[in-house]
Formats: sequence, C-alpha cells, structure tokens
Amino acid sequence: MEKKAQESRYARSLIEASLDPLVTISTEGKITDMNEAWMNITGKTRDELIGSNFGIYFTEPKKAREVYQEVFTEGFVKNYPLTVIDGALTEVLFNGSVYKGANGDVLGAVVVARVITEQKRIEKELTEAKVFAELATLIAEEAQSKAELAAQTAVDAVKSKQQFLSNMSHEIRTPMNAIIGFTKVVLKTELSAKQREYLTAIKMSGDALIVLINDILDLAKVDAGKMTFEQMPFKMALSISAMLHIFETKIQEKNLVLVKEYDNRIPEVLVGDPVRLHQIVLNLMSNAVKFTTKGKITVKAILLNENDAQATIEFSISDSGIGIPADKIGHIFEKFQQASSETARIYGGTGLGLAIVKQLVEQQGGHVQVKSESEKGSTFSFILSFQKTNAEAEIEETITALDTEIKNIKVLVVEDMALNQLLMKTLLDDFGFERDIAENGKIAIEKLARKSYDIILMDLQMPEMNGFEATEYIRNTMHSSIPIIALTADVTTVDLAKCKAVGMNDYIAKPVDERILFSKIVGLIKKSIHSNRIAPAKNDPHRKSKYIDLNYLNQRTKSDPALMLEMIGIYLEQTPPLINAMKQSFQKQDWDSLHAAVHKMIPSFSIMGMSSDFESMAKKIQEYARTQQQIGDIADLVLQIEAVCTQACLELKEEFKKIKNTKS
Amino acid sequence: MKNAQKIKLFLVDDDALFLKLLKIEFLQHEDFDIETFATGEYCVANLSHSPDVIILDYHLDGIDKNAMNGIETLDKIKIFNRDIPVIMLSSQDRIEVAINCMHHKAFDYVVKSETAFVRLQKIIPRIFKYKKIKQELSWYMERM
Repeated sequence: MEKKAQESRYARSLIEASLDPLVTISTEGKITDMNEAWMNITGKTRDELIGSNFGIYFTEPKKAREVYQEVFTEGFVKNYPLTVIDGALTEVLFNGSVYKGANGDVLGAVVVARVITEQKRIEKELTEAKVFAELATLIAEEAQSKAELAAQTAVDAVKSKQQFLSNMSHEIRTPMNAIIGFTKVVLKTELSAKQREYLTAIKMSGDALIVLINDILDLAKVDAGKMTFEQMPFKMALSISAMLHIFETKIQEKNLVLVKEYDNRIPEVLVGDPVRLHQIVLNLMSNAVKFTTKGKITVKAILLNENDAQATIEFSISDSGIGIPADKIGHIFEKFQQASSETARIYGGTGLGLAIVKQLVEQQGGHVQVKSESEKGSTFSFILSFQKTNAEAEIEETITALDTEIKNIKVLVVEDMALNQLLMKTLLDDFGFERDIAENGKIAIEKLARKSYDIILMDLQMPEMNGFEATEYIRNTMHSSIPIIALTADVTTVDLAKCKAVGMNDYIAKPVDERILFSKIVGLIKKSIHSNRIAPAKNDPHRKSKYIDLNYLNQRTKSDPALMLEMIGIYLEQTPPLINAMKQSFQKQDWDSLHAAVHKMIPSFSIMGMSSDFESMAKKIQEYARTQQQIGDIADLVLQIEAVCTQACLELKEEFKKIKNTKS
Repeated sequence: MKNAQKIKLFLVDDDALFLKLLKIEFLQHEDFDIETFATGEYCVANLSHSPDVIILDYHLDGIDKNAMNGIETLDKIKIFNRDIPVIMLSSQDRIEVAINCMHHKAFDYVVKSETAFVRLQKIIPRIFKYKKIKQELSWYMERM
C-alpha cells in the first residue's frame, strides 16, 4: 500500500515537471486530471477544471471534440493544431494516446499540448525577411540597370562628338585641300606683285585654318583618351634646331634676337615622341614670337639629371613681350582662354595652343610652369624625361633635310576626284617624279600588274574598290611590299589604325603639304631599298602607335610584375593557335569552327587593352559565321583581326621582355 | 564564412587568359580556395573536392570539338549534387543562351566583359545568403 502511494507521487511529479500543458480526459470527454501548465494556460483552478468539458477551452470546440474522438478511435493523435482560449489565444499542437486498465479496457486518454507561438513568430519573421530580401534585390537591380543606361548614354555622347569632329574635319579639309594646293600651284607661275601678295594672303589664311582644325582635333583626341605617344629614337638637338628654323624669318622680320642655349651633356639620341615635342615647342614659340615686339626670345634645353635608363630635360622659352597679368595667369591653360579678350583682337589666335601644350606635357608625365610679369615678358618651362638608347635614330624625319638625289621615282596615284588628281599631278611633276593616275583601287591593281612602281599614294574613299580593299589585295594576293601612303582627310585614330591594319606604311593628311609629301616619299623609298637589301621579309617597319594598352591589366593585377608576366605569357601561348584556327576554318568554310575560334579570342581584346573596334570586328565575324550571311565581308575582317593580333603579340613580347628586365 | 573557412571555388574555362585573370581578381579580393580547370571533364572528375560554387564557361568545346560543352558539364554537376550552385559565363549576350542555362538549373548567367568579375563578386554572397535562408527555413520546419 505504502509502495503504491509512493509510485503515485512519483508519477504525479513526472506530470508536473512537464512544461507542456498535459491533461487526461475520460471517454466522455470530461477532464479528469491535469498538470500545473494546463491550469496556467487556461487560467482556471483544478476544481473548476475537473469534470468540465475538454472542448470548451478552445476557439473551435468542434475540432477539440474531434481530437479526443480520434484518440479513442485510433488509440493516439499526433500534432493536431488547435488554439486555446486564454488571454493571447495560444496556438498549440496536440499529441495524445489512450491509457488502459489492467483488463485492457480503455479508461481515458492523456493529451499533451505543445505551445508553438514562438515557432510561429520566427516563421513569420523569416517569411518577412525573405520578402524584404527579394524586394531589396529588385531595387538594387533596377538601380544597376539605370546606372548602366546612364553610362551608356555618356559613352554614346562622347562617341557622337568624336564622330562629329571627325566628319567636320573631313568636310573642311577636302575643300581646303584644293584651295591651298592650287594657291601654291598658282604662286609658282609668273605673277604681278599685287597678285602674289593676294595669293600669299589666301595661302596663309588657309594654313591658319588647317592649324586650327588640327588643334581642335588634337584636343578632342585628348578628351576621348585617344591621344597616343610614340616611343622612337630621335636626335634631340637636330629636332629642336630644325623646329626653330621655321621661326627664323618671322623673328628677323620683327627685329628680334633668338638666343639658343643647348646643354651639350644631353645624350645625342633619346627615345620619345619627337612629333609631340615639336608640337609643344612650336606652340610656345609661336606665342613668344606673337606677343613680343622688341628684345629677345631665349630657348633653353638643360639636362637636369641623368641615370643609366633615362635623361630628364628642362625646356624653357622666355620672351621679353607683353607678359601676362598676375590675375590671369591661372586661366591661360584653359581651353579658348586668352589673358584678355583684348589680346584676341590685337594678336589673333584661338586660345587653344596652351591648352594643348598642357595636355601634351602632362600626358607624358611632365608639368608646365609659367612665370611672367606684365610688360616685362614671360617664361614657359616644362620638364620631360626621355629613355636613353643605344639605337640609331630613325631616318631623318625633318622636313628641311630634303634629299634631292633620288630621281626617276615612279609614283602611282590612286584618287577618284579630278581636282585632287590634277593637284597631285602638278606636285609630283614639280618634284620631277614620274606619275600615273588610277581612278579607283580596281584600276590601280590592273596598272600595278602591268607596270612596276616605286610607291603608291592611295586615297581611302573611292568608288568600286576603296583604299583599304586595294591595299589588302596588293599585300595579300599580289604579295607586294611596295610602299603605300594613305591620303586621308580623316585623321582620327580609328582610321589610322585601319590603315596600319591593312598594311599601309604611312599616311598623309589632306591638304597635302608638298614638303611632307616629298620627304615621306623619299624616306619610304630609301627605307624599302634599305630593308629589301637586309630583310626583305619585313613589310611594315614603320609602326606608329600601339595596339595594346596594359593599363587594364596593370589595374587588375595591381601592377604585380609576376602576375603581368603570367597573363602576357598565357596570351602569347594561346593567341597564335587561335589565329591559325580562324584562318584555316575560314579557308575551309567551316563556319562552326570559325565561330568558335573567334569566340575564344573576344575576351582577350579588352584584357590586353586593344581598341573595342577590333572586338566589334571579331563579334561581326562571329555573327556572320553563325548566320552565314555576308560571307564576303568576313574575308576582310579575318585579315584585319589576323594583322591586329599578330601585331599585338609582337608588342606584348616586347612588354614581356621589358617587365622581365625591370623585375630581375 | 565567419569561422574563417575559405569558400571553395571551381573556375572552369578553356580560355586560359580569362581563367587566369579571374583567378587573380578573386584572390586579390578575398581569400578564396580556388581550383581552375581547362575542361568540363576535369571539373566533373574533381567534384569530390566539394566546391561551394562553380563558375563555368558556356563554350567549353570551342577548340576541341569532342570536349564536353558547358551545358553538358552543368548537367553532370547537377547529377552529382544538385545543390552545388553553378554560375554560367559566356561571351555571348544572346538571350537564348541565358535562358538555356537557367533551364539547366544554373544559378545565374554572366556575360564575359570588363564588368564580369564585379558581377560574379556580387552573385557569390547572394548564393550564400540564399543558402542560409533555405537552411534556416528547413531548420524551423523540422522543429515544427
């Protein structure tokens, strides 16, 4: 008896220990016993609860009845959801089973309720969080697409500005070509003094206009980030004295004194961009001459320091002219700015010169300085570093050093416009060269097959067959390495890149300057004789600017030389087989393989900083190969991509060596 | 991520140049555990290394015609373990390609360009966020 009472107390404590509400019900659905947790949740006392109906404590008594009915029919119930009526309407899950007497009769059921308020709350929060996350992603995506759109608009705007300038320069240069050219021709005939004076005025105005167009184009190029600098060996002393030579007449006319101070310690041959240096000094000199009426102009080049790799030189141009007021000195390097509007009226000019000087110097890593005192004069100075080299300077580019020994040169002029044909005829006759005219590329090729020429002057835009197509045909089908000079009115970088890509040796901008024309013809012929003797295979010795630009790679690798070498190494390994695959699949007209090969090349263009024009070309090939349309155009594109990638490989090999050397 | 366990990335591309650049960028940005594969076959053969994320080129049969292409590789990965998130990469921005990838249960699709890396970089945290939410949800579901 004592034992039985002990067991009962033990069972009781087990029941009370449970935090989950626990209740026993009779077969009639009346509550017979419960634990403390059940009293807490219902808020009733034990006496009130015992004998009461189980169902009345829930929001849905009918469902509650189903619970105990199920317990008694099935013998158990599992996870049955109900809501208890109390202060907060607590949600619970029911689990229960029947208990039986010694003889196996069902006496009642034990039901346990599990409170799931907390789980419900977490579930709800989770769902909310998910909705928020999805919403946030949506907003972010929207913002991103907006930003992309804005960026695209900006890029388009820059592009259309470039295009506009390029078109304008073309439209202005073409008529100017005829005006200046024929003025020069007429100037060579017998004229009265008055006529000569008027014609000279026409020519000077024309020249000034061309300079202006070039200036605007230069600035546009800088703005578009397309200004490129060459790295070629040149003779510094010669380059500067040749340039100063241009101003001699003007300085004499104005009774000024020109003082030259050239530091003899400056190495004879340096590597840099002589044309841009020329442009910088030219702009500063023409300002000095323009704004000085008496006294002297001093041009100095001083070696600041020198080490094994490079020499740093300070250039300065001082004048005793009108000077710049202190309050204006901050603005003179801005575009279209002169010290005062008065200045423009008296001295002329557009105010672009100094803006260009500043851009040219700064893009080469230098800095321009100016010191000036009103009415006393100004000093402009800039410091640039040049790499030293053991290489010989390239064949003289100086316009003044004309070699008149070479005669009997046979020139083929490919030009469709009668006016320009006549002008070229006159100029070439003047040089004493033999010349033939072809109206378009097709006729040029026919003439070339019948007769041998020393050099071709090739217009780019022509009917029937244009200059690019003709050059490609000459290089790739006729396998001729005859020097070809492009005659172009459009000097934006895009076209020049295309000229090089198809294998032209050089270009001349229209209106043609007869001295430049002469020196380029002679220079190229000399070179082709020279290279034919030594290395006849080399067909493009005159490279102007680079295809690759390692800026992107530098940024991505944080200029880590080891990573750079790895990347360049991979490109050099992977690209030549791809070029091959592209060529062969095109020859076999295996469009799938062509598509695949070009497809693989596409990402490498932007990685190596090559112009996106080439990437678009590759994409075009891919598209044509896929749709098998415009198959005729593919040939052209495949050749260009091949030329570009081959050249890029050469350039990258150089860079590879350079990085390797600096690394070790 | 918090307990300094590196995320294991598989990069799969037969364009060695792009592959290398991607690897450099990932390593510079965060401490990933990266394995690179030039073919889909290698990638599938090494799935036992249990990658957390796979970045897979769409055009793996560009040069070798008999190689497994990106979609085939994707299918094989999904058979191995359908929970490995795979981001597809392609230099084609054709919509059909993207849709095809999604149909084969790719997590996302990125066009190869200068911005590809930035996009990948954004997608990866999203994968883990998504995974975490899913895990939490199933944890609670189990408890209910």
